[in-house]
Amino acid sequence: MKSISLYEEKHSFLNGLSPETKLLYVIVAIAVPVILGGRIPFFAFIAMSITLLAGSGVLRNTKTIVAVSGFILITVVIIQTFFRGGTFTELFRIGPLVARKEGFEYSLGIVLNVLNIIFCFCVFVLTTKPSDMMQEMVKHGISPRLGYVFVSLFQIIPQMTEHTSTITDAQRSRGMETEGSLATRIKAFLPLISPVIMNSFTDTRERSIALEVRGFSSTSKKSFLEDFVPSSADSGMRIALIVLFCASVAFTVLRVMGVIAWLR
Amino acid sequence: MAEIVINNLRYRYPETARLALDGISCEIHQGEFIGIIGRNGAGKSTLSQAMLGLVPNFYHGAYGGSVTVDGINVKEDTVDDLCQKVGLVFQNPFNQVTGSKLTVYDEIAYGLENFGVAPDEMRRRIDSAMELLDISQLKDRAPYDLSGGQMQRMALAGIIVMEPEVIVMDEPTSQLDPQGSEEVFRAVSALKDEGKTIIMVEHKIEKIAAYSDRVMLLDDGKLVAMGTPKAVFSRDDLAEHGVVAPTYTQICRKLGIRDREGFYPVTLEETRSLLESDMKGGLAG
Amino acid sequence: MNTIEVHDLRFAYTACTEVLKGFTFTLDERSTAIIGQNGAGKTTFVKLLKGLLRPTSGQIVFNGHDIADVSVPKLAKDIGLVFQNPNDQIFKNTVIDEVMFGPLQIGMSEDEAKEASRKALDIVGLRGQEGTNPYDLGLSNRKMVSIAAILAMNTKVVIFDEPTIAQDHDGKERLHEIIESLCSEHKIVISILHDMDFVAQTFQRAIVLAHGQVLLDSDPRSVFSRRDVLQHAFLEQPTTTQLCCALGYNDIFLSPDEFVEHYQTLKASRL
Repeated sequence: MKSISLYEEKHSFLNGLSPETKLLYVIVAIAVPVILGGRIPFFAFIAMSITLLAGSGVLRNTKTIVAVSGFILITVVIIQTFFRGGTFTELFRIGPLVARKEGFEYSLGIVLNVLNIIFCFCVFVLTTKPSDMMQEMVKHGISPRLGYVFVSLFQIIPQMTEHTSTITDAQRSRGMETEGSLATRIKAFLPLISPVIMNSFTDTRERSIALEVRGFSSTSKKSFLEDFVPSSADSGMRIALIVLFCASVAFTVLRVMGVIAWLR
Repeated sequence: MAEIVINNLRYRYPETARLALDGISCEIHQGEFIGIIGRNGAGKSTLSQAMLGLVPNFYHGAYGGSVTVDGINVKEDTVDDLCQKVGLVFQNPFNQVTGSKLTVYDEIAYGLENFGVAPDEMRRRIDSAMELLDISQLKDRAPYDLSGGQMQRMALAGIIVMEPEVIVMDEPTSQLDPQGSEEVFRAVSALKDEGKTIIMVEHKIEKIAAYSDRVMLLDDGKLVAMGTPKAVFSRDDLAEHGVVAPTYTQICRKLGIRDREGFYPVTLEETRSLLESDMKGGLAG
Repeated sequence: MNTIEVHDLRFAYTACTEVLKGFTFTLDERSTAIIGQNGAGKTTFVKLLKGLLRPTSGQIVFNGHDIADVSVPKLAKDIGLVFQNPNDQIFKNTVIDEVMFGPLQIGMSEDEAKEASRKALDIVGLRGQEGTNPYDLGLSNRKMVSIAAILAMNTKVVIFDEPTIAQDHDGKERLHEIIESLCSEHKIVISILHDMDFVAQTFQRAIVLAHGQVLLDSDPRSVFSRRDVLQHAFLEQPTTTQLCCALGYNDIFLSPDEFVEHYQTLKASRL
């Protein structure tokens, strides 16, 4: 059985930062461009996230999610550029299709927002050990049981996926077609989904007993085998992020009050 | 002093009509190895879960009689208290993996973290458990990357680090290949040598005969017999209760060869020596 | 006569992990047990027989036809596989609907399917449980439902993946009868097993696998006499055979009855 984990154990800049700091980064990276407005803050944070990921050697792990969302984003760009309604300024033509400036700019805004969110989340998820995430949560008062449910999903979902292929094999072995037309695939849905769900119930039931007999419901104060020790850069990074956030709020307030002119 | 006392235990799962356990009474002493046998549906798993109060505290349902562990009535205590006295390992190695830890070492620590044990003490116990079960070389592996036998030993380690006096095992080898099975029995043997009380539900009747001090035969929720392996397997009514004696016992029964106490042998060694004596013609009894 | 010819069958998941290293033999109407520790290639082999995996090289020929060109659902008409975990396959609310699913999928009419399912339920001892929800049955009876579901398809080949797991004595007796009954219908019966006593008393042929290779392929008596080879495959001899070896007998016996007969003859000849 292979375990599939997004997290890689390594010594890197991002791995050395505490989960709190990285979560703060996510919040700042999403909020600041929205507060400041315009395209440049988005580009800046995307570039910052990519640099951090590359510097910590995990940029290649973003390939899949970027490819999948990239595909969707390209679709959005095409649809908005060529089919957005309302008045428009023509950019160029391909046959009967007219590329519209307004549509393109609108879709660009969406693309930047989505990519920013994806990359800053990757900064957090790809470099934080699930159990450290849980440790943070428990230290801040979240129930350890909830913490367990969150963390275990990282391993249990891949296990369920593996199991699904066994179930598919079992039904195909009884003559059920799984490939072909949409109608065929829909017909195959119930014989596949039902065992998946039933197995999950049975497995979850057994697992909850196994957890119970290892003190899952215990009310004692928890201890941790490994305490996460953040690197020396951690507090510096945290201060920098808070300063950045406050500065951008201040900047925006001053601009709105007309103190600073901002040329768009 | 008796470790576990079961007194007229009766139990019915919620929304069922049949009694899963029907008036079981017995005493289990410290350091004993008890084998529990019986056909499917006899109540073996239910009884093993009653030893640490999962029945009735987890399953609810109708409960009568009592189970006391070291003087404490399981009905009046919580599972997380009792699980520090009585550990439970069961059939499916995969479902005993918490899924929240990335290495075998961390996985074994899970129970200790729940009880707030100090890290140094945790490390001491984990190292010692891994040594005993011969899995020290697996400490940095991912929990799901192990073979069935290794996973089951990891589950066992996760239980013994909590230092229970009693370890209950419900068909721990039924999903394992012969080698995995062998690894688990070797581990169990090591635990027995340490003086732990072990209660094992098993269908591998030759293993039960070889390891047990006493055997409990269950059928239809009732305790049909409890005694030494020889005494139980020499009974005439085993087939009625859906159980078959070890091969060696069957052979000696057919040949009418008994030992000095009038029982049929239950292990390979005993059978061998009895048959050799018999062939030489100098057999007593 | 039904046959499955296997010619230099090889399989590798990736370039450097060859799991099957060249099997060549013919499976016929002798009931065959495939034994060996986990990882030896048993499950991979069975999946190749069902078309769930395709060989890296080599051929599987069923009754003269190479199965490489046949899709999995089409193969299901002729080759049935009972999976190890019945929960991986059961999805209907009643036993009879579950058992009828396979026959309907491979093209039987409603009536044919019902008839075949009733017969199958009889064989596995679940007559009268047609309307029960499979999940209301215990695990061993659920296993019998999954067996019935394959028997009802009346395939020429029936493969069992570890049918004895979690079965008690009564369950194993019933399995023994099912396998004998399939053999009497001239079907090819193949089973992956870990229970050597059951292999010794039920099967006519045993193939020992280790590290993707065939170590032994013969009748159980010959196979279980080779303790050295069995050890290499991490297998034990059946319990009766272990006793024979402990007593230093030259002959191998596979069941208590055989042993007893031999012993009594031996004793009588000494008097």
